[in-house]
Amino acid sequence: MSFKKWFNERVPIDPEFFKAFSSEPVPDHLRHWWWCLGGTPMYLFMVQIVTGILLAIYYIPSVDHAYDSVKNITENVNFGWYIRSMHKWSANFMIASVILHMIRVFITGSYRKPREVNWMVGTFLFVITLLIGFSGYSLIYEQLSYWGLTVAGNLLNAVPLIGSVLSSFIKDGDAISQFTLSRMYVFHAAILPVFLILLLVVHVALMHLLGITTFFFNEKTRRKTFPFIPDHLFTEIIIAIVLMILLTFMAIVFPAGLEEKANPLITPAHIKPEWYFYFTFRILKITSISAAVLIMGAAFFVLLLWPFIDAKLLKKKKTSEASTYIGIAAVFLLCALTLWECFALFLSH
Amino acid sequence: MPPRKKKDPFDIKPVKPEGSVKDRFIKVIKEFADAFKGEQEISLNSKKVIIAFLSVVFFISLLIVAWIEGGRKRVLQYPEAVVTGTNKECVNCHQNTTPGIVKQWKESKHSHSGIGCFDCHQAKDGDKDLIAHYNGLNISTIVSPKDCSVCHEKQFQEYTNSHHAQGGAILGSLDNELAEVVEGHVTFDANGVKTKNSAVAVSGCLQCHGSEVKVLEGGRLDPDTWPNTGIGRINPDGSKGSCSSCHLRHNFSIAQARQPEVCGKCHMGPDHPHLEIYMESKHGISFVANREKFSKEMENLKWIPGVDFESGPTCATCHMGATRDLEITHDVGSRISWNLRPPISEKIDAADKAKNIPTKSWQDRRKDMQVVCESCHSPGWIGNWYNQYDNLIDTYNEKFARPATELYNLMRSENLITSDTTFDDEIEFTYFYLWHHEGRRARHGASMMGPDYTQWHGMFEVADNFYQKFIPQLREVIARNRAMGGARAEGAERLNAKLQAVLNSPMHKWFIGKQSPQEKAARQKERQEFKKRYVQ
Repeated sequence: MSFKKWFNERVPIDPEFFKAFSSEPVPDHLRHWWWCLGGTPMYLFMVQIVTGILLAIYYIPSVDHAYDSVKNITENVNFGWYIRSMHKWSANFMIASVILHMIRVFITGSYRKPREVNWMVGTFLFVITLLIGFSGYSLIYEQLSYWGLTVAGNLLNAVPLIGSVLSSFIKDGDAISQFTLSRMYVFHAAILPVFLILLLVVHVALMHLLGITTFFFNEKTRRKTFPFIPDHLFTEIIIAIVLMILLTFMAIVFPAGLEEKANPLITPAHIKPEWYFYFTFRILKITSISAAVLIMGAAFFVLLLWPFIDAKLLKKKKTSEASTYIGIAAVFLLCALTLWECFALFLSH
Repeated sequence: MPPRKKKDPFDIKPVKPEGSVKDRFIKVIKEFADAFKGEQEISLNSKKVIIAFLSVVFFISLLIVAWIEGGRKRVLQYPEAVVTGTNKECVNCHQNTTPGIVKQWKESKHSHSGIGCFDCHQAKDGDKDLIAHYNGLNISTIVSPKDCSVCHEKQFQEYTNSHHAQGGAILGSLDNELAEVVEGHVTFDANGVKTKNSAVAVSGCLQCHGSEVKVLEGGRLDPDTWPNTGIGRINPDGSKGSCSSCHLRHNFSIAQARQPEVCGKCHMGPDHPHLEIYMESKHGISFVANREKFSKEMENLKWIPGVDFESGPTCATCHMGATRDLEITHDVGSRISWNLRPPISEKIDAADKAKNIPTKSWQDRRKDMQVVCESCHSPGWIGNWYNQYDNLIDTYNEKFARPATELYNLMRSENLITSDTTFDDEIEFTYFYLWHHEGRRARHGASMMGPDYTQWHGMFEVADNFYQKFIPQLREVIARNRAMGGARAEGAERLNAKLQAVLNSPMHKWFIGKQSPQEKAARQKERQEFKKRYVQ
């Protein structure tokens, strides 16, 4: 009995399926890396998983040892600084590339029928990515991560109806404690990544089922396609290699550092989150806690349900490019709020 | 499944857009404007440009955030001086006249927090040392501990209650007599008031112990009393001490104050070689080996042994530093159980107890020191070490200090030497060396784990001094006074009786050949075996 036959009896999958899958036609515009930004966060997430597992070997999720263990990873463990810096930079790149991917999908209207559900899945992926970033930053247990956690707890507390329950569930009571850190660790290293993986599977599956939105820039490229394997795979590998070089460059030139150890008794002069929460923090500062929570909640639901809102707008006027204008305004608003918060922090020093 | 058309997967040939860049740009703007009016949709090519533009805007935003964040971190690492209010006037002028002190201040935490020259140096109306300085600003040259207490109240209280704060009260001590009479010269007026202090005391003793600062006309400070940063300086405002004894002005670095050399400014030399003993000890050895490693963290407010560092404690670590259970203290004696300063060592609370002054008991002080030791040593180790230390002090006290002191005091009370003047007889120097130099070296050596200072620089020289100088000189005094007859001869007999009692005591009888035959034989046997071992 040949091995092939032996194997097919035990794993009865039609090889034609793999052939079809691997040769799935990819629209010609995906030859250009800037149209492939959907794959970039996925690749960066894989980097996160690998570096995260390595960091977990030395990280101790205890209020007494968390900071020291991060310090140990950074200063003593062989290549610890590199792995930690890769983890940090790939997280930052991941969030940035998700935002760029969303800009592309939004402006090109790729979320429109029949891809509304996939857009919603993508929105959840975006939020989970932000939450993983936040919970990861808390684990360092330095002054800013500790006090950032305190601010986040207060924000959660302001969520209507379930705020106090949510806040005390995350923090386990009123103050940040060992249990808060444990929860953050579990969220960061288990719950959120699992959700992310599940949603990613759905996101990619839907993309394959519905097909990739095809752009025809002119008649010459119309209906031109190329196979997924090996052509597109090679493009992705090139992107992965370039990203690895870029991450290594950032890790070497701007390695992840450490600020002062968390001290519950001393509130730092300036509390600030990571850059991807600057816009939230700015909204919080120019309004109030309750207003900020409501604005952020509303923004999330508008983003989530945008395909349906857009459909309503399109019904009113067939040629409406309202979504393009709103998209442009939203990007400018995001950048403006981020820069505002950044300059406010700069001027306060 | 469409057939593969290209063999080379990387053969990416983008379709060249039509028209010049300018034309394409105008086209995008036109399409954008028309779409806004609802006249047409934006083409995919134009959307491509819009996406690229938005991505660039987002990317530039991130770059700006990264640049500012990088700058903030640099500020955290190298904080800048904040010059506030009146301090601007001081800095503007002094960065030209005394640039060094301005630079020191700029490196200090004070400057980073906006605490400037005038905040510490300003004088209130009625201050004895007020100087009308410049532009209507009244200042005091001296920033006393009381001035520092405005912000550092706890440290001020601890310091004021410490033995360090009493350092200036040396008037009348033997050391002071040496500096003013034996080594230097002091002038008095007809009323017995000092008109000129001893140059030796001014440049020597008082630089460590602290002067009593006198203010001359116009707020100027008496050159006999200032410059001085002695540990117990008596300041014009009545407060005692000088924070800059240890926290050198004007950068007041914590790391610098923790260096052993800071204490070594005074705690060194033949009479109390603490710095040298420390450097001989394993504590000192491991500190020197690791000081580069420690340099950054030593600036932290707390630098806890066993937590923030693992070996090489400095003087400040054990005598002042925080531990897992103890707070930082500026009462440097609060963990010391023995007073090794006087001729005969006594427990540190003995003097206060004798005067019924409430004080922390020596047991409590030792307990606190043991808490420090426990950062690195086991209770068994610590207990045994204290046992060794106590035994050495007891040996010094009982074998040499007490007999020598009793003999010396009897000699003076019997007027066998000039009893109204010290240091005019050779034996007075001999006795002084015995306890003040050799005796302290031995005791401090044992207290800080410096074996060579305990033995060769210590007890060996104590013994040499006692048997080869003190006893022979005592015998001379007895013989001289016997010859004088009368009361002096009677006094000499009493001193001789006391001397004989000492020499016939178990610890000293070897010196007069009264070692027991058994001990003699045992020692001889040991000696021969030693010689055999080393073929001598």
